[in-house]
Amino acid sequence: MTQAWALETESLCVSLGGQQVLHELALRLPAGRWTSIVGPNGAGKSTLLRALAGMGHEKGRVLLQGRELHAWNGRARARTMAWLGQNQAAAGDMSVYDVAMLGRLPHQPWLGAPSALDHAAVEQALRRTQSWDWRARSLGQLSGGERQRVLLARALAVQAQVLLMDEPLANLDPPHQTDWLQCVQELVAQGTTVVSVLHEVSMALQAQELVVIAQGRVLHQGGCADAATHRALEQVFDDRIQVRAIDGQWVALPRLPAPR
Amino acid sequence: MLLSASLPGMAANAQVSSAPAAAAITLTDARGRAVQLAAPPQRIVSLLPSLAESVCALGACTRIVGVDRYTTWPPALAHLPRLGGNLEPNIEAVLALRPDVVLISVASRAIGRLEALGLKVIALEPRTHAEVHGVLRTLATMLALPQGAEPVWARMEQGLAEAARAMPAQARGQRVYFEASRGPFAAGENSFIGETLARLGLVNIVPAALGPFPRLNPEYVVRADPDLLMGGVRSLGESREPYPGWSALRAMQSGRICRFAGAEADLVIRPGPRIAEAAMAMARCVQKVYP
Amino acid sequence: MSANPLRPAWLALALLLASLLLLLLGAGVGSTGWESVWRLAAPDADPLAWQIVRDIRLPRTVGAWLAGALLGLAGAVAQGVFRNPLADPYLLGSASGASLGVALAMAALGVSPFALQGLLRLGITGAAFAGAVGAVLLTLLLAKGAHNTMRLLLAGVVVGVVLGAASSMVLMLSPEIMQAMQSFMLGSTSFVGWGACALMAAVLALVVLLAWSLSRVLDGLALGESTALSLGLPLAPLRLLLIVVMALATGTAVAQTGLIAFVGLAAPHLVRSLVRAMHGWLLLLSAGMGAVLLLGADLLARWLIAPQELPVGVLTAVLGGTYLLWLMHRRNVQEIA
Repeated sequence: MTQAWALETESLCVSLGGQQVLHELALRLPAGRWTSIVGPNGAGKSTLLRALAGMGHEKGRVLLQGRELHAWNGRARARTMAWLGQNQAAAGDMSVYDVAMLGRLPHQPWLGAPSALDHAAVEQALRRTQSWDWRARSLGQLSGGERQRVLLARALAVQAQVLLMDEPLANLDPPHQTDWLQCVQELVAQGTTVVSVLHEVSMALQAQELVVIAQGRVLHQGGCADAATHRALEQVFDDRIQVRAIDGQWVALPRLPAPR
Repeated sequence: MLLSASLPGMAANAQVSSAPAAAAITLTDARGRAVQLAAPPQRIVSLLPSLAESVCALGACTRIVGVDRYTTWPPALAHLPRLGGNLEPNIEAVLALRPDVVLISVASRAIGRLEALGLKVIALEPRTHAEVHGVLRTLATMLALPQGAEPVWARMEQGLAEAARAMPAQARGQRVYFEASRGPFAAGENSFIGETLARLGLVNIVPAALGPFPRLNPEYVVRADPDLLMGGVRSLGESREPYPGWSALRAMQSGRICRFAGAEADLVIRPGPRIAEAAMAMARCVQKVYP
Repeated sequence: MSANPLRPAWLALALLLASLLLLLLGAGVGSTGWESVWRLAAPDADPLAWQIVRDIRLPRTVGAWLAGALLGLAGAVAQGVFRNPLADPYLLGSASGASLGVALAMAALGVSPFALQGLLRLGITGAAFAGAVGAVLLTLLLAKGAHNTMRLLLAGVVVGVVLGAASSMVLMLSPEIMQAMQSFMLGSTSFVGWGACALMAAVLALVVLLAWSLSRVLDGLALGESTALSLGLPLAPLRLLLIVVMALATGTAVAQTGLIAFVGLAAPHLVRSLVRAMHGWLLLLSAGMGAVLLLGADLLARWLIAPQELPVGVLTAVLGGTYLLWLMHRRNVQEIA
């Protein structure tokens, strides 16, 4: 039985400022699973995620649930796939609740007021990121971590089948990082496809699939528990890390030179 | 034409040294600066239209070698090189003409530059009838005219008197509003236009207390309800009411509006030796609307 | 930002009341300073006074309100589209375009009564409107549409500078229009009659409707351009439409009252400092705030040195500048971003 692919790319080429960042990239991301994309700085991870989200590529094809992106109706695509970007400058004078409600835009009719369903989705998303209690505060009054949780809630509020997240753990303290992990695992259990770009390798290893990218090409794609994947991971980071299992969870530890 | 509110012009006075041989000319310009000339200038550059007109009125038109961009009268000057605006003339071009004297407005930024280059600069700017007379006297001194400016001034006075006589009897004492520019900017009693109107026997609705060219609330004119409106086509328009609410003015309803177009519009708002012609133009128009 | 910001509806009510009050005052401000409107209602009142109020003061007052509303709305749209609190409605060259249109029309009117018939029928107001809207269209052309904000802004600067230089050239060649041009540049409601008010009201209704229906685009943009795209908003065509709306509103206001500074910039700021609202409310409240600002400035302009008038653009610049100074003094720069 062929597995359903949530996202596929074929010969994807993306250039930024005259430089080609992604070279003929071919990728297939399974549906209903959590895939982490890792790689060194400048490998093209964010660019890949943006291309998957439909923000432009020069050559090649991107398919969402088997259909090419540009064949999708804009709102249908936005309902099916949500994207959380990195360092998006958001206006500071909106309330937390309103920001989360913006995630419901793809579901709302053009001139309509938010429905009960919208309010329920927003409440659920805000509670999920522990932002519900201060939903009346302005975005500009929040700390970096609180702000990130609100933006995360915005992405969750879309209730999309495919969720793309670029550095979702920025500014989050360890408890909230763990929260995020649990949230993703719950989403996957419900059938959502999650694709994340993380530079915290240990966090990335908690996923189900790992895609290792370097210099705009896919070096390896495989399960997070596979030894081959671990090897590829260590190699792409010049063997400066080592992947070990602790209490049944995989972690990446720095590999220090042996003491003389 | 410059309606800028700058310093009040100082009356220029002049004296001619009576040495018979090398007659040296000394005069004081509007800046209060004394300017000395060894001889009457043969090559004159004028950078203000009213000064070129004054020199021509005094009969020395042929001595003018260069004028500014805005000089349009007399036609004899049409072939001369244009030297830029009067505030910012083309200094090189002025120098290249090797003038004996440069006539310029008081507000020009080029005065210092021209003097530093060794040119004789006389700064004058007539803004009232008295100042027009003063400028003519200064220029007559500069040109060492034996009869001075009096013949020309006498002709102008005559022209003004003629214009006043040409005014129909029923127009005497009528109240007038003269619009100098769209805004509305009115010509008050103590502007040169106001002086001309007074000579014609008309009463200005804008008193001297408001200044020479005040920017009025259009309502003021409606309240004053003048008998006669005067202005350029550019300000008062061709036919519709110039400002909202003015169709109720008795002047608009009786059709007593003098609209000056084109060259005539320039004529009536320019202070200079042609104020007599300007007065005549106004009188002719008044004749038409007061049959 | 206050801990308990005002609810938008309350600000709307306050602006409405302020407008009514100022409208009443405006009926009383004229060439004799301020006079009570109640006296006009008395049976022995001067009929001329009533006619002055009806034909001159009321249209000017209502016109100032309408022009201010157009500018306030355009300012809010500009700040939303460009995601920049310093944006104003003249950003894409419309001020320079309007100046050029007016300069050309004024210069042409003096040339010959029979030349350029079309231009004459258009008149100064038509020329100003055509110039303003034309400049924005030129900017859109140069930027090849509204895809890229940076490109739009650059094109706007270019168009503004070039057209501004062109209108300076026209002024140089026809210096007799200089005073009238200055009068236009500094703004005035002297030329506003009931016809102009009707026109501005119609345009205001149209642009408010259009902008309000596009308010979710502005909300989405507040999260960042990429996020807005990911939410399924067709940014390029809708941004184009918003810019056209902005040009229409600005052109109409400028055509009737000349170039008035700061109203478009300050009105959205004032609203945001008082309430916290999404663009649906923000656009409406900015229009109301702009209306009250310009109306207040116009009343002062007509009253301070009666029977002479100050150019209203000077007053809005003074008031607006003072407000921005106070803003800088009171807040950290960080809070504005």
